[in-house]
Amino acid sequence: MGNMVCPNFKVCVTPQFEVLTQDQRQQIYFGALEILARTGAQIHDERTLELLQQNGCQVEGTRVYFPRALVEWAVAAAPSYVTIYDRNGRPAMYLGGNNVYFGPGPTNTFHLDPFTGERRKPLKTDKADVARVVDALPNIDYAMDLGTPSDVTSTLADVHAFDAMVRNTEKPIVHWGFDVEQYEDIIKMAAAVKGGLEQLARRPFIVLYSESSPPLVHSKEAIAKALYAAEMGIPVIYTPCVMAGATAPATMAGTLAITVAESLAGLTAVQLLKKGAPFIMGGVISIMDMSSTILSYGAPEFNLLQAALAEVAHHIGLPVFGTGGCIDSKVLDAQAAAEAAQSILLSALSGANLVHDCGYMEFGSTGSVELLVLDDEIIGYVKRIMRGINIDDESLALEVIDRVGPGGHFLGEDHTMAHFRTETWFPTLCDRRRYDDWVAHGSTSLEQRLKEKTQAIIRGHQPRPLPDHVLARLDEIVSAAEEREAAKAKKRR
Amino acid sequence: MSNFESLSKAVIAGNVGQAAEITKNALDLGARPMDILNLGLLPGMAVVGDRFKKGDMFVPEVLMAARVMQSCMEILKPMLVDEEVPSAGTVVIGTVKGDLHDIGKNLVAMMLESAGFRVVNLGVDVPPEKFASAIREHKPHILGMSALLTTTMLRMKDTIELLEEEGLRDKVKVIVGGAPVTRDFSEEIRADGYAPDAASAAELAKQIVGFSVSS
Repeated sequence: MGNMVCPNFKVCVTPQFEVLTQDQRQQIYFGALEILARTGAQIHDERTLELLQQNGCQVEGTRVYFPRALVEWAVAAAPSYVTIYDRNGRPAMYLGGNNVYFGPGPTNTFHLDPFTGERRKPLKTDKADVARVVDALPNIDYAMDLGTPSDVTSTLADVHAFDAMVRNTEKPIVHWGFDVEQYEDIIKMAAAVKGGLEQLARRPFIVLYSESSPPLVHSKEAIAKALYAAEMGIPVIYTPCVMAGATAPATMAGTLAITVAESLAGLTAVQLLKKGAPFIMGGVISIMDMSSTILSYGAPEFNLLQAALAEVAHHIGLPVFGTGGCIDSKVLDAQAAAEAAQSILLSALSGANLVHDCGYMEFGSTGSVELLVLDDEIIGYVKRIMRGINIDDESLALEVIDRVGPGGHFLGEDHTMAHFRTETWFPTLCDRRRYDDWVAHGSTSLEQRLKEKTQAIIRGHQPRPLPDHVLARLDEIVSAAEEREAAKAKKRR
Repeated sequence: MSNFESLSKAVIAGNVGQAAEITKNALDLGARPMDILNLGLLPGMAVVGDRFKKGDMFVPEVLMAARVMQSCMEILKPMLVDEEVPSAGTVVIGTVKGDLHDIGKNLVAMMLESAGFRVVNLGVDVPPEKFASAIREHKPHILGMSALLTTTMLRMKDTIELLEEEGLRDKVKVIVGGAPVTRDFSEEIRADGYAPDAASAAELAKQIVGFSVSS
């Protein structure tokens, strides 16, 4: 069929999906610009207020009104894609366009122990386990802590979590901090790994994120941290958690507009401070469940809103922090699998770039490495769907079909040998054994296989260690932070 | 000899051309056909079987390896004196009357051959009488029957009953398989064994032969 001429031939190699048209994306963006100009935002940081006022914002006390053109300038000033490297300096993620990457989420209050099944407070050693599991899973692209460690100085939980992670994964790390001081500690540690701040800024393997407090409030910590990280050359994520019906209107469109306005306020400040600083727009947006009052991580509206947010980000040319692989269920049951699968598929279809919160159970209250392992399997499945169907002479296979003919089979063909491994996805957890074979292998459920695989990774996987002198430097930085916090505590007493 | 090792590797890789060349070269250099078989081909097949069970290799790759094994055996057979031709036993195999499904049964045949059995493949739509006469003619250790349809699997029972009537039932072990066939059904029709897939059919056949040799 190769010689055939075929006019107006349209090719879709991957599945096509959209929630909003171009015009609707524009409407949301203009809505956000309008909110920032007309309603403005509250900003609780002197330095940011000054910066904004100097550049044409109208400032009344803490209330700031943003000129539309200034926000548009900031959108244009930020890079449309950001490259994140791994610990070894190799490019690991090109955040932009429709490129999709997956990772866990941060700061859960509880940890689901993969050995005892107990829901308990997270420990520092759990953070090391999380990082090693991330390191081992082929479809998880970066680490986040999946729970705030409770067995360390409470004001340094962020620093200790980073310490545990950076020693136990070679993959990039997306992290958070209580305040600018902890950001300093974390950036120092990351710089120690790279051999200097300059080297770190040139090939960043960390991304730091902070959250505004919707609706339209930016705390000192949130915005000051974003500015500090940008100043240091570290890519930042600025992301609100928005609850439709509570901290935003009950309507999807209004919720989206507020979410975009939250991120763009942060973007404008960051770009004014350092034009061209790598910035990733965020937003964990969902409904507030009107009976339990939780922010649902498994609702259909959550998936719809996250997909729409990614589309608006594509429209204005900013990389976007997505959310998926997270669930409302408290156990790894059918609800869990259904919720995780929906959000992973829709995140991928929408082209969200840095999809986080894999391993989030109980709407984010509990972190689970088992769920992370399940998510890895689902992502593998979804990645196969996203690869779509390739059609050319070789894949259409008319020659082979003719050679085998009616009644024959293709199992022994060279063509089959050449393609079956790349054309098909091979599960590692989903069971497809014949019944007797399944019985012979212990009649296991997905939950049992999941536990087994997770425990095997934690027991067996060890990434390459950091050099001794780097480990020693990390120890020094943590000790210095401990001394500082101890001195502060003494002063308070 | 390192050539045996590379022959094993060619079997595992499913590389017919390379395996045939190594086999011929080894013969030219004076290697004994039995050694080529026992130290090169069979160890390769053993690795293939092992990897298949672990899920590291898949059906098309096992088939390729079996094909390599067969083409090398074609080269070796004329060199082996008759009694030396190794055989785990003889299996008569076929798809039952009314059923035209060929592929699963052929897969079983191929797996049996690569496990060292001589296979007499009667094809599809095989009536009970044809199975009976093949047993008289080939005196197999095992009769394998396949059916893919709920409607045709009952013909397995007809065949077994005919074998009983004609006094042939004690002379052969009967194994059955196919999508609708279950272990319960195989027991119900008084078959001697059931396998859910091609790989375990070969395992089952080996077990049966092992038993009949020792008993």
